[in-house]
Amino acid sequence: MTTRTYLIKEGYENLKKHGGKTISTILIICATMLVLGIFIILFQNVNKNVETVRLEQGLQALISDNATVEEKIYMQDQIKNIEHVKDIEYLDKEAAYEDAKELFKDQEYFLEGLENVQIFPESFVITFDDIEYAEQVKAEVEKIDGIYKVKYDESTIQAVITISNIANVFLLGVGFVLLVVSIFIISNTIKLAVYSNKREIFIMRYIGATNKFIKRPFIVEGTIMGLLSAVISFIIISLAYVVLYARLPHVGSTLGVFGFVPYSTLWYQVLIAYLALGLFIGLFGSAISIKRYLKV
Amino acid sequence: MIEFINVVKKYNHDVVALDNINLKMEKGEFAFLVGPSGSGKSTFLKLMIREEEATSGKILIDGKDIGKLKLKEIPYLRRKIGFVFQDFRLLYDRTVAENIEFALRIIEASEREIRSQIKNVLEMVGLTGKERYYPNQLSGGEQQRVALARALSTKPPIIIADEPTGNLDPATANDIFKSLLDINSRGTTILIVTHAKDIVNNLNKRVIALDHGKIVKDEERGGY
Repeated sequence: MTTRTYLIKEGYENLKKHGGKTISTILIICATMLVLGIFIILFQNVNKNVETVRLEQGLQALISDNATVEEKIYMQDQIKNIEHVKDIEYLDKEAAYEDAKELFKDQEYFLEGLENVQIFPESFVITFDDIEYAEQVKAEVEKIDGIYKVKYDESTIQAVITISNIANVFLLGVGFVLLVVSIFIISNTIKLAVYSNKREIFIMRYIGATNKFIKRPFIVEGTIMGLLSAVISFIIISLAYVVLYARLPHVGSTLGVFGFVPYSTLWYQVLIAYLALGLFIGLFGSAISIKRYLKV
Repeated sequence: MIEFINVVKKYNHDVVALDNINLKMEKGEFAFLVGPSGSGKSTFLKLMIREEEATSGKILIDGKDIGKLKLKEIPYLRRKIGFVFQDFRLLYDRTVAENIEFALRIIEASEREIRSQIKNVLEMVGLTGKERYYPNQLSGGEQQRVALARALSTKPPIIIADEPTGNLDPATANDIFKSLLDINSRGTTILIVTHAKDIVNNLNKRVIALDHGKIVKDEERGGY
């Protein structure tokens, strides 16, 4: 057995020795991690939904009735070359009429007397690679000859940007608070562990143990607690999501309604976040408490 | 091996615990440090292992000024000095062998060394066969031998013992001192703080007496 494996064994033995405290610490960390997990999942879901809405949003550039085919091709090329334009689709009068029919399918009387497709303008539907540049693209498109009007749903775009910004700030804030709480809990447990091992530590110091040697079992103990909490929380939250997902609306399945994304697209993000978090709070929580409470 | 040069230790600027101590102990020497409670004996030991720092003066261990050691070098100073406590300071949830292994792990001994040292030191203190016993299955004298074995296991050139027989009956105390003499005969420098008057008088070894922080007596073959 090398010194390293001995110290890992000591850390593990400490965990067993402080059984009750270990279990309660893991349970409390799991509780905070689960809350954090719910927020991570909500965060991802909000982002996915926002992303879907973002991708659906676009500009509609109305083409003057007297534009020739060549001019339309030229306009299309010009639009394509504008920065942040992702895609461009030509909509002829027939398609515009079909769109209007689809839009007013429940209020058909709106379209009564408008059966002449010629009154519907031809247009280009333009999508962006990033909704943040909507204004910029709109300004560029407006400059093009032959485009007489550029329409876009400003309120939806603004709402999407606002929702995603609020969600990001809120989730980061909650995440930070829970992180601090978890670190505090782990460091408190390690502080108690240091206290209950003070006899060993005293002897170690007299025999000539280096600081590293004294600290390592506690760091191992904290890390194991952090990682165990991560794994337990991951299992609980995964099962809960899979069970709930079956009963909740799915993203893209219902128009205009918030939908949940399948867990297959999420699980690895949750797992990585949990493991990184478990490792971080275990290492950091134990390191700060040893530094503070161990006279070495 | 151990040298105190004009060592002064004050607490809170004005309480003098040790007052201008000058002392030299050669390699392989055996000495008693005696004196009433509060005379400065414990401070003397604490200074030797840099548990505390001298207010002024120099302490040389193995020719090295320990006042100049960096914090991270202190563990290596302590590895040169085996410490034996009055209350044994054993780990009661570990066996005799594991208590000794504990010390050897600290100095990062190899697996082979650990096995052979446990055997050697238990033989030295007469506890062969008790490897798997827990400390509370042993008598007080045996527990102190385990503590002695633990201190010896890392092969320190110096052993200091703070009232090693303070909790033991006279016959057991005698046995412990025999073990210490035996260890000394193999070349280890030994300094013992004790109140065991009879033993000090009988052994006729060097006696350093402290009182109110000063050396009041230092005799090659002295008595209590």
